[in-house]
Amino acid sequence: MDRNFTPEKALSKFQEILKKEFSRRGFVKALFFAALALLSRSFFPKRVFALPRETAGRAGKRIKAAHDLAVVKGKDPYTNTEKAVNALGGMGLFVKPGDVVVVKPNIAWDRTPQQAANTDPGVVAALVSMCYAAGAKKVKVFDITCNNEQRCYSNSGIAEAARNKGASVFFADSWNIVKARFPYPSQMEGWPIVRDAVECDVFINVPVLKHHGLTGLTLSMKNLMGVCAGTRGLIHINIGRKLVDLTDYISPDLTVIDASRVLVRHGPSGGSLEDVVAMDTVIAGTDPVLADTYACTLVDRDPMSVPYIKEAVSRKFGSTDIAGADILKTG
Amino acid sequence: MRIFSRKAAFLRKLSQGFFLLLFIYILWSTTYPLTGALPPETFFRTNPNIMLFTSLSERLWLPGTFFAVIMLLLTLILGRFYCGWICPLGTLIDMSGKRGRNKAVVPQRLNFRLNKAKYAVTALILLAAAFSLQIAWALDPMAIVGRFVSLNLIPAVTLSVEKAFIFLVRDMGWSDPFLEVYRHLKNSFLGVRVHFFANSLIIFSFIAAILASAFFVSRSWCRYLCPLGALYSLFSKAPLLRRKVEKCTNCGACASVCRMGAIKNDLSYDSGECVLCMDCVYSCPVGGTRFSFRKGPAAGEENKEGMGRREFLIVLAGAFLSIGQRHRKRGAGKKDRPVIRPPAALEEEDFTDRCIRCGNCMKVCPTNVIQPAFLESGARGIWTPHLVNKIGYCEYYCDLCGKVCPTEAIPPLPVEKKKHIRLGTAYVIKQRCLAWNDGLKCMVCEEHCPVPQKAIKQDIVEINGERVKRPVVEPTLCIGCGICENKCPARPGRAIKVDPRTAERTKAG
Repeated sequence: MDRNFTPEKALSKFQEILKKEFSRRGFVKALFFAALALLSRSFFPKRVFALPRETAGRAGKRIKAAHDLAVVKGKDPYTNTEKAVNALGGMGLFVKPGDVVVVKPNIAWDRTPQQAANTDPGVVAALVSMCYAAGAKKVKVFDITCNNEQRCYSNSGIAEAARNKGASVFFADSWNIVKARFPYPSQMEGWPIVRDAVECDVFINVPVLKHHGLTGLTLSMKNLMGVCAGTRGLIHINIGRKLVDLTDYISPDLTVIDASRVLVRHGPSGGSLEDVVAMDTVIAGTDPVLADTYACTLVDRDPMSVPYIKEAVSRKFGSTDIAGADILKTG
Repeated sequence: MRIFSRKAAFLRKLSQGFFLLLFIYILWSTTYPLTGALPPETFFRTNPNIMLFTSLSERLWLPGTFFAVIMLLLTLILGRFYCGWICPLGTLIDMSGKRGRNKAVVPQRLNFRLNKAKYAVTALILLAAAFSLQIAWALDPMAIVGRFVSLNLIPAVTLSVEKAFIFLVRDMGWSDPFLEVYRHLKNSFLGVRVHFFANSLIIFSFIAAILASAFFVSRSWCRYLCPLGALYSLFSKAPLLRRKVEKCTNCGACASVCRMGAIKNDLSYDSGECVLCMDCVYSCPVGGTRFSFRKGPAAGEENKEGMGRREFLIVLAGAFLSIGQRHRKRGAGKKDRPVIRPPAALEEEDFTDRCIRCGNCMKVCPTNVIQPAFLESGARGIWTPHLVNKIGYCEYYCDLCGKVCPTEAIPPLPVEKKKHIRLGTAYVIKQRCLAWNDGLKCMVCEEHCPVPQKAIKQDIVEINGERVKRPVVEPTLCIGCGICENKCPARPGRAIKVDPRTAERTKAG
């Protein structure tokens, strides 16, 4: 800048500019270049380089496992999970070498594992370790939490357990989303979904079985709300239909329900150890509806009282036929 | 003993830069899980202006006042070294002053007259403190620069870094290296959330005005207004470390270079104004000026600057007027517009008195719910923390705001106690509620309620053959954390709100 800059000089300079005559051609030219500059800043890179803004969801793989469901009872959630997945045919059935895997536990609350509001860290750690053993390139673990992200990740013990097994644990970014597009009319149309949940090769849903004030139970389909951004409270209105649409959109390849400790009252956040019952069970299956239905029977609840299972039945989405299903129970 | 030479200029800049960065680092690390190397209240507890006057007005010995006293004792020996070598605001002023011309030298008579203004400020603070009114915060440099760093600088930096990464990853599609870097940064340096603060432009305008004043007269804030500078100045009327002139050609280079205008026309100096920047030492063409502890021919008498009788009376009258103001306001409808205060905050009168508006609690709050009040709690509550549940909520197991408060206006409580502290009581506005008004299935408030027994109960009715659950607040259980208001999906106005009138406040003393 001019060292001898004074307000008077600035004023005279400004007056000089004002005195210059604007031709129509000059004005149009200036307008054109200004518009070009604006476009090249925001429009051009977004159109040419930007990541896709909307997708039609994941294509379900419809993998046929050795059993419809594997239910394992035992003291240690880690070994329970290994046994359950191995009973289905091993992790190699789902994860191929070089795959990017999303393991989506429930980390919604700032609660300890003993309070049973989140998935047990042992279950998550077992899955991450098995995915890597099956040759996964990368295993991502995340959730959009209800309480403060940092507190949920660290106090649930999941971040540490998964990182120890080599998983990439990160906070889901509210801006890194895609808009959901459905081939049929859906109330979830256009809902923002975390990009990582859609752009992955394998999606493993790892909910925790617990009580929920509105729906009666939080299960695998409810757990998928954790990949939704936006004002999630609105999903509660017509929750059955929306969650079935969401499950169809994400099409989880494997569902592992953690019922090691079950919060039977005052869910979904709980907090009191009196409300927690030890069930020491892990359920694994490929059909989320069947897994959810079986989990209902564990806590003696009518599956038809859970709105999203009821909706799934009415749409013939998945199966609720426990009696006819091939269920392997061990332990 | 010659302990300073030309190289001292470099040392001073190093020290200033170090302490400015340290100040920013401390506030930057004032966040969950609070693992910074130094406690967040470091710069506030070593601040005699805040600690002594708050202790006096509250009639107790605040923890940490000890350090403030040590600073005063050091000043007795060294002079106003804090202003020249440590004070982050002084550093910012020096930095911005460089951009201006700095040549507008104030005539000496006027300069020394204006210097007294800061003593008047301190006297006013002292008198108010004697009458149990703490106004030391209002012009305190640490509080001003603390609010600037916590509420303006850090949010601005984190926001722009975040925006840059969003542009690179989302708009340019370079997610391969940048998304990993971004996620790593977010987990460490960047912090998980970019915080936003209400009224931050007004807060910024204060420091902007101070920095702009340095454009016209260098360090004018430190010369004329700073109450902390005044306090240090009072303690450095006769420091052990003094400026000595051994050779002099009466060229006046030192007087024209002095940023504090401390060197008089006869080239003697006022030690109460000197911040030991050492500019006079290395601007002296004959190298005849130095600072030393040794008794030698002092250049000129020590300055007997201070307040005259007349100024003192004016200040006294002013102080009485402000106290009259306080009593006029006491109980005059103040309870009508209460705000939600942080958990277990002192009772309202004591809280606004004890709070020094440093912004630590707002910076540390993981959900960003603590916001600076402007006039929400009356004129006396300006920049005090209050909770805005539309932005965040009080985290059930979090006790950070009490841990970082330098004056214990928010008492430090263990989590086990804090989680039972009532901030207010929630109430449902049925006309807005999706369940009560529209018969929809919602219960988001009940879902998020952190109280183990759920302070929101279900009222189940049959509407058109469907069971609809409607929220009812159980006032005996509700702790007023505000997560229900925060998560309520009703728009534009939330259908459940927190009324702070039932808040549990701590009794001072």
